Amino acid sequence: MNTQAKRLYLLLALIPLLFLAAACGGGSAPLPPPPPPAKFSNASLAGQYAFSMTGSELCAGVGSLFTRAGSFTADGHGNITTGLEDINVCTGTATLQFTGGKYSIDGDGRGTLQLTNSTGTTNYSIVLSSTTSGLVAQTDVNVTASGSFQRQNPAAFLNAAIAGGYVFDFLGVDVNGSTVSPASYVGRFDSDGRGGVTNGLFDSNIGGTPSGQQLFPGGAFCQLDTNGAGTTFGRGTANIAGQSFAFYVVDASRLKFNGIGFPSALVGDAFAQQNIAFTAASITGGFAFLIGGSSPSGAISTAGRFTADGAGSLSSVVLDENNSGTITLLPNGTVTGMYTVDDNQFGGGSVTWTDTKSGTFSFVFYLISSSQAVFQEIDSAIISDGTFSAQTTTPISSTALAGDYVLGWNGAGSAEEDYVGQASLSSSGGLTGMTDFNQFSTGRQFFNVLLNGNLSLGGDGTQANDFTANLQTNPAATFHFTTYVVNQNTLFLVGVDTDRVIAGPLVRQP
Amino acid sequence: MKIEMMMGCAALAGLMTLANTADAQERVSRASPRAAAYDANHEVVVQGTVLEYLENSTLPPIGTHVKVQTSSGTVDVHLGPSSYLHDSHFSFASGDSVRFVGAMSSVDKRPVLLARIAQKGSQAIAIRSTQGFLLATGATRSLSEKQRAQASQKVTPR
Repeated sequence: MNTQAKRLYLLLALIPLLFLAAACGGGSAPLPPPPPPAKFSNASLAGQYAFSMTGSELCAGVGSLFTRAGSFTADGHGNITTGLEDINVCTGTATLQFTGGKYSIDGDGRGTLQLTNSTGTTNYSIVLSSTTSGLVAQTDVNVTASGSFQRQNPAAFLNAAIAGGYVFDFLGVDVNGSTVSPASYVGRFDSDGRGGVTNGLFDSNIGGTPSGQQLFPGGAFCQLDTNGAGTTFGRGTANIAGQSFAFYVVDASRLKFNGIGFPSALVGDAFAQQNIAFTAASITGGFAFLIGGSSPSGAISTAGRFTADGAGSLSSVVLDENNSGTITLLPNGTVTGMYTVDDNQFGGGSVTWTDTKSGTFSFVFYLISSSQAVFQEIDSAIISDGTFSAQTTTPISSTALAGDYVLGWNGAGSAEEDYVGQASLSSSGGLTGMTDFNQFSTGRQFFNVLLNGNLSLGGDGTQANDFTANLQTNPAATFHFTTYVVNQNTLFLVGVDTDRVIAGPLVRQP
Repeated sequence: MKIEMMMGCAALAGLMTLANTADAQERVSRASPRAAAYDANHEVVVQGTVLEYLENSTLPPIGTHVKVQTSSGTVDVHLGPSSYLHDSHFSFASGDSVRFVGAMSSVDKRPVLLARIAQKGSQAIAIRSTQGFLLATGATRSLSEKQRAQASQKVTPR
């Protein structure tokens, strides 16, 4: 898509004309069915929401990674009334208060959001997966980013509310002198409900060098602010795995972190950990995974699935890896795999599988529960992380998957690309919807782009499935994905085209 | 690149009551890993003349490639995203005399030089870190204080 892109005003203008043309068709033609009732409106976004995102900004004339996390308050009528955010940009970190803003939500859950602070106004496309959560992509000319937001529970804006075990996954860059390296941290800790942190364990992968499991260095804490930002916005500060963060409480089950250890930058979430003693038996059945990050070739993303026997052996390993346009599919030869869960029962562990033709893939994980974990690749020179989730045991079919979904895809072609949208899957696998996306350069912000495609399930649906998405840009663009179905509500997608690396989920709307 | 996770609601936290205290776990050592994509211990210098400059090559890795004629044959050199070169006001044309420092890698069974440093005349640009990672989105994280102050004069809304 090397077109001189404009904001697709023409396409926008055509949409109502197409509807009008259908309604005014020949007299003998049956009237089209009425559009489905709108499921969302401005009233759907009401209350306090915590957000986090990462992306690229133009800094000193070149692209630069940045991160942000914060809280905004929507009044249910299209106005942002207050909020706070922490940013980590190329010139430093800052905590900025929102002085205003606007938003608009369409019936399909898609919409726009503007957040205003002392530096100006930033613009976003958003999509609601429900009234309590959604996906976001920044759509400014010189800034693109993607992330998510969730409704906050102010009753959890207390240290006592964020007590217990948490599993985290942070991704970003580590800066050591003049050396800038991609970095991933996964691990777990216990919050004591008074701001203290114990039992901290982590695995880092900085510049392709895995740390092995480490104890948190001294000085760990996770504490809500005492200056009013804690009780008003759910903001706190933390030292996790030796890194400094600001965080925002979603609720007792989820915290959103933004690194403030400038010039390094990390962003990610922590999830309440199920309070059980984890063993190998905790991982039983089929699991789908999706991870993304960097390699020396460029962007990398991998999706796949495996079956764990509850005793340390893996089978039915299938994956699609896109390493800057080089596609690796497993199985290629014969695949054997194994996993371990740490003897300390805190939910950490390792996964390794070897394909006789494609080599060995190694990972570490920390279990959030027996059905979900954060997942980090530790192979040489690859920094990539994400999640694995238990696959449904109920039959997967196109009929079962039919319905409405939100999409949030992140990728890299000639520059970073961030997509948010909404689409419907029919019972025959057909896809129709609309998306906004930002390709991080002047004139490459696209809005209300029609999307269609097809999901073709293979076998019982638990393995690799083909998914094609056609974007009605000018010229049209086609993305080929492999899809791994987690369950009837979530699908993991990884692009298998050689000209871009792209990945992300489809998440069902109610 | 990052992947935004859409994790389901985790189980509500209870106080961790495990009897164990956290000890770092020594895990099973890895079997033979996949080949390293950038071998910093075996960097090479490629010097020659540009035969072809492709901003969006159809061959992986994604991004800009330069085909260089050297005294021992042609070498495919990968330079990462074209946007980074544009933003840095760095470009190549056929016939340019060039010098690259980097590591050879096998990409889809083809030899490709993953360039760390690109040089044309008196101009040079860092493409990758010493570990081999593209600097395209991270270079400005290591700006000097002076450069940072200059950059902060031109910031966009945050």
